[in-house]
Amino acid sequence: MITFEHVSKVYPDGTHAVHDLTFDAPSGRLTVLVGPSGCGKTTSMRMINRLIDPTDGVVSLDGQDTRSVDAIELRRKIGYVIQSAGLFPHRTVVDNVAALPRLLGVGKQQARSRAMELLAKVGLDERFALRYPYQLSGGQQQRVGVARALATDPPFLLMDEPFSAVDPVVRTQLQDSFLQLQRDIGKTIVMVTHDIDEALKLGDQVAVFREGGTLAQVATPSGLLAHPADPFVADFVGASRGYRALGFVEATAPVELADEATVRVGSRPGDAGAVDDGWCVAVDDAHAPLGWVDLRAAGEVVEERHIDFSGTVARADGSLRDLLDAALSSPTGRGLVAGPDGRLRGSVVAAEVLRHVGHGREAEVSS
Amino acid sequence: MSILDWFLDPAQWAGADSIPVQVGYHLLYSGTALLVALAIAVPLGVYIGYTGRGELLVAGAANALRALPTFGLLVLVVMLVAPLVGSRLAFVGPTIVVLVLLAVPPILSGTVAGIQGADPGAVGAARATGYTRPQILWHVQVPCALPLFLSGIRNATLQIVSTATVAAYVSLKGLGRYIIDGRASSDYTQMAAGAVLVAVVALVLELAFLGLGRAVVSPGLTRNPLPTCRRTRTVRPDLVPPSTPRKAAS
Ligand SMILES: Nc1ncnc2c1ncn2[C@@H]1O[C@H](COP(=O)(O)OP(=O)(O)O)[C@@H](O)[C@H]1O
Ligand SMILES: [Mg+2]
Repeated sequence: MITFEHVSKVYPDGTHAVHDLTFDAPSGRLTVLVGPSGCGKTTSMRMINRLIDPTDGVVSLDGQDTRSVDAIELRRKIGYVIQSAGLFPHRTVVDNVAALPRLLGVGKQQARSRAMELLAKVGLDERFALRYPYQLSGGQQQRVGVARALATDPPFLLMDEPFSAVDPVVRTQLQDSFLQLQRDIGKTIVMVTHDIDEALKLGDQVAVFREGGTLAQVATPSGLLAHPADPFVADFVGASRGYRALGFVEATAPVELADEATVRVGSRPGDAGAVDDGWCVAVDDAHAPLGWVDLRAAGEVVEERHIDFSGTVARADGSLRDLLDAALSSPTGRGLVAGPDGRLRGSVVAAEVLRHVGHGREAEVSS
Repeated sequence: MSILDWFLDPAQWAGADSIPVQVGYHLLYSGTALLVALAIAVPLGVYIGYTGRGELLVAGAANALRALPTFGLLVLVVMLVAPLVGSRLAFVGPTIVVLVLLAVPPILSGTVAGIQGADPGAVGAARATGYTRPQILWHVQVPCALPLFLSGIRNATLQIVSTATVAAYVSLKGLGRYIIDGRASSDYTQMAAGAVLVAVVALVLELAFLGLGRAVVSPGLTRNPLPTCRRTRTVRPDLVPPSTPRKAAS
């Protein structure tokens, strides 16, 4: 656990970057520091590994005051990922990851084979291992940055805007794959971002900072959405927070799904059997839904170009927001729902989801 | 006599004043000066780049030394030293000193710029993950500084080699002899041959530096991808962990 107790930082030029900060980042959890630019998030994070010394207050790791430990020793227990990755330009990808273990005396072979494992874990193909950083895309560099931070298997991890420098599509991929990784490794993480969506998506706990380096609220993402502490937090979390909150609500009763006729690419429209309004679901060989096909518009054979891919597919065990998204984005108004195995389960209409929203809310309040 | 005939004349290739001997002396003076300059400029440059102290000194000294009139300085130093020493060293020493003064500024500024120019993201990441200051210097800043450092040495070397002709003005050997002696006897072919020889030596050294750069600077910095086959052959074998543990196999 990382603990801040009445921590303040005033820079030599008089800037009051952080003011009386008190909160915990629980072990094995991801705590996100979020807030507008310049409100002291980076300063707070860098006080954890003593890149910056607090003017006042105590930062401790698992109960131990960080000032009582040698700064170098301290930093070696704490992985560190920054926005621009900060890879060593003169080292190959695998040697970037192996660098710190090598420095600490691990043999070359052992360090490299461990580095290869880590690269696989962060989702980087083996063929990139011998490239140099300049030969990678921003997203790939960031993956290497994460692998490097984990190379010595430190219990703590600090991340400063790790996914901010890449485009939105890649950012989503990186976030998803990082969430997956964290489920596996369970590090104690403090992550800084200015993006409230990212904070709500990744955080087990979110600390909202406001101008002047004060803490506005610390809560779980759903708590922040349901009960913002004050107008600043409400405003920062955003106008659509009611809809976002659905992302954390699961249906309490089974959502009613309708059966849908299916068709495969390459088959004839007649194979789908009886279809009410002409629309049926295109599925692949594993029976996973691809999108909708209007059989009236398809010719003799259903081809890929006949498929409307616009709708999202919700997981049957997903949140009400996912289900509502699927229904609202579907060209037929019927959202596609797949099981955990990826196979098509059926479809759901918005009205059915909304019927459950009432129940979900009640369940949350009564609990 | 054409310049080609001059070069083909067997007399130029044998004896105490032959081309190989003059090239040898030229390289001897140049090499000595370069080594002395390196011994002065590299530690100083690393110190300044590392601590950030004395940067203004680098800029000031570099400009001052660049503005020095080489020949005038040489004569001055010889005049000062000759009465004190009295042997051939009275001429060799000042020549080396002048060449060293020429070579220090480019090496010094290359070293400082290289160390300070190391990718700040990489330096920051090293610091944040528990590299000590000397480890940051040695494992990150120095390797990242190599391209600028080498180009500083290269500039210094080319300056030394082309300026080492002044040794002949104070009666020493080296390729300057052809130019001085040629002029004294109005032998313009000999003068031109001397100039050609200096150019050839400079060109060969230039190529040597190109090779040196390839050998010691990481392709990650030069962004010069090596042929894949070479890279894989040198790095691959110990990279991929064996599918079965080595011990089990042996
Ligand atoms: N080294 C520094 N010296 C003086 N002021 C600084 C320094 N670093 C940051 N600041 C100031 O401290 C405040 C907080 O900065 P920072 O922690 O980087 O904010 P954030 O990460 O939330 O954008 C800002 O006003 C910034 O200008
Ligand atoms: Mg910041």
